[in-house]
Amino acid sequence: MKDWRQWQIGNVRFNELPMSWRRIKPKIEKLYYRGHWDEQLFEKVIAVVGSRRVTRYGRRVVEMLVPGLVKVGYTIVSGFMYGVDTLAHKVCLETGGRTVAVLGSGLDELTPVENDKLYSRLLAENSLVVSEYEKNEQARLWTFPQRNRIVAGMSRGVLVVEGGLKSGSLITARLGFQQKKKVMAVPGNIDSGMSKGTNWLIRNGAVLVSSVEEILAELGEEKAEVKVKQMQLLSREERRVVDVLQREEMEVDELARAMMIDVPQLGRLLSELSLRGVVEEFNGKYMLGLDYVD
Amino acid sequence: MLTKVWSMAHQGLQAIEIEVEVNVASRGFPSFNIVGLPTKAVEEAKERVRTALINTGVDFPSKKITVNLAPADIPKEGSAYDLPMAVGILLANGEIVLDGTKRYFYGEVGLDGKLRHTKGVFLLASLAKEKGVKEILVPKLSANEASVVSGVRVLPVDSLVSLIRHFREEKKIKALKNLAGKELIEEAEVDFDFSEVVGQEQAKRALEIAAAGGHNVLMVGPPGSGKTMLARAMPGILPELTEREALEVTRIYSVTGNIEPGGGLIRRRPFRAPHHTTSKMGLIGGGSKPMPGEISLAHRGVLFLDEFAEYPRTVLEALRQPLEDGMVSVVRVAGTVKFPARFMLIAAANPCPCGFLGHKKKECKCLPGQIINYQKRMSGPILDRIDIHVQVPFVEVEKLRDDVVMKENSLQVRQRVVKARKIQEERFKNETVFWNGEMKNKQIKKFSELSKDAERLLQQAADKFQLSARSYFRIIKVSRTIADLEGSRGVEYSHVAEALQYRVREVG
Repeated sequence: MKDWRQWQIGNVRFNELPMSWRRIKPKIEKLYYRGHWDEQLFEKVIAVVGSRRVTRYGRRVVEMLVPGLVKVGYTIVSGFMYGVDTLAHKVCLETGGRTVAVLGSGLDELTPVENDKLYSRLLAENSLVVSEYEKNEQARLWTFPQRNRIVAGMSRGVLVVEGGLKSGSLITARLGFQQKKKVMAVPGNIDSGMSKGTNWLIRNGAVLVSSVEEILAELGEEKAEVKVKQMQLLSREERRVVDVLQREEMEVDELARAMMIDVPQLGRLLSELSLRGVVEEFNGKYMLGLDYVD
Repeated sequence: MLTKVWSMAHQGLQAIEIEVEVNVASRGFPSFNIVGLPTKAVEEAKERVRTALINTGVDFPSKKITVNLAPADIPKEGSAYDLPMAVGILLANGEIVLDGTKRYFYGEVGLDGKLRHTKGVFLLASLAKEKGVKEILVPKLSANEASVVSGVRVLPVDSLVSLIRHFREEKKIKALKNLAGKELIEEAEVDFDFSEVVGQEQAKRALEIAAAGGHNVLMVGPPGSGKTMLARAMPGILPELTEREALEVTRIYSVTGNIEPGGGLIRRRPFRAPHHTTSKMGLIGGGSKPMPGEISLAHRGVLFLDEFAEYPRTVLEALRQPLEDGMVSVVRVAGTVKFPARFMLIAAANPCPCGFLGHKKKECKCLPGQIINYQKRMSGPILDRIDIHVQVPFVEVEKLRDDVVMKENSLQVRQRVVKARKIQEERFKNETVFWNGEMKNKQIKKFSELSKDAERLLQQAADKFQLSARSYFRIIKVSRTIADLEGSRGVEYSHVAEALQYRVREVG
């Protein structure tokens, strides 16, 4: 894979920008980019944003929603920060989609440094990295919210996955409201700090969404085809695991206690079920897999 | 007048017989000189011996005294030469008379003439046995170390006064009763029991498998989840020390001065938990005069590295060779010394720098970049030596009802472990390895044939979890141990399925 530094930087002046972007206030004087500038990329765009710190739940939400959006041809726009942003870019690429990253720094200033590989990968897979800052300008506290107006402005809708009450994604959402975009938020548990922001948004005018279909309906899409998932045949013991996990995600010890079976036996069941994708494990906790349908 | 008594020096764990020659010249200015490469501690023996003898009521000769420690080209260190020097002077002075039998004298003398606890007495007793020396005189506080060595009369000396009276036949010192090591070991109780750890059934099961197959373990979990407690309970579920092992361990502990005054044979498997700021030499062993490090002190026991990610990379790298060979060679210009270091490694780490990633009640405060860096530090070649990886989640103890908590104690677990180890002893009797955990690819192929569907399962898992070739073989090793715990000859589907739970995985 070619290193991102080897890609030429191009630029687009205000008059050359897609029409809808020229309405963004304050106006974009000049936009620098790396990658393939392709007007098609901007036809169906959705912004997927969220906090830098991502919980298991946030990760799962991105993994559930983004592939569905990509499959009906949406370009995913996000802010290239770690957490939900990075995840959204990655999941999009993994599903074979294209994505646009709007940086809060110049194109030569890698922020955050952990995303070095992602930068190159994005370019290699026909996606785009843009920034309105001079190539060597460093990210400042205020450049991130400033670029958020572009993230919102490019998109038909803004999807907020997760975020605290003071999170930057709320700024993007507010800008989305101002720009008369559809602002959608994924609800979360009321005791989770990372869902306080999204729940607040829902109270204050954002649309609650919980599936790809609902998002597409909000964006005015025709009913999309629903992915056909495979039914799994489960033994009685496996059925019990699924029943317990359906209510709540659990650690192995908790699960063993809830099912009243010993750990070695449960371990065998869980290995088997993980291999079939019925359950998934994250940080020691088990939950039902994405592909599992009852 | 020239007198000769015998004592011991050691290089590493190697004991060397030393002849202590004391000459009290009839002519020349009064002086006291020691030759034969003494270090500072030996040099200072002059003052201790002189004062102790005077305080004991002996007339210290004001003559030219020369002490030679032969062979003269081996450096001597430590305070153990006090006693032989004092005895030499007493002989030269005519205070006592010895018959011709060869004895070893060994021990540090205090200014009041009392003998102090001195390290290395066990080594002395072993040397005596090896050289056929029938009697050793050692400080009373250290004498117990020697009591497990059979065939050697151990005379515990409490002070110079009692020594003088012994040889003047006024009041004989009673020889120490020889103790059978085996019984001592059987009497030893587990100092930390498995049942004291509440919950953590999966981690306990992982440790049981580790103990049975001699696998190294990595535990990952938030602070306060019980990682240290679990590790402490580990020696208790390992099989009892055999007598030979106990003697090996005692030897190391004796030389390093890790046996407390009055202590004898080490009867329990060692548990060592060096702090992560421990230097490389402190961990591996070394020094200009090489001494065993923490890994040798953990010989035949458990080495617990808490905050695994905090150890400097170089220190962890240095652990690799000993983990492979079961011993460590310390190479110095003056020569190479080998220390045994056959231990089980238990590493523990937090999931992230603040420790609360994935915690039920507390929020993790780390930046994502910090977490990535932290976890990177835990990877690397040392992880290749760790077969079992287990999550130790935080337990809300008050939520556990008594009736659902497994209350198995260490002895019950140990019985299963011992059974599994017997099977392995039988299996590896013609091999260079002892336990499943030590198997190389060759032995894995030879002894761990998977059943058809077990193989298929492992293949599936390799694809799904993207296992490296190394982790693939590690899972087979662990499966083999699980099969042994069950007493199964072959490695079946269920064994592999369980072993997959303990595969090394990415955290975060």
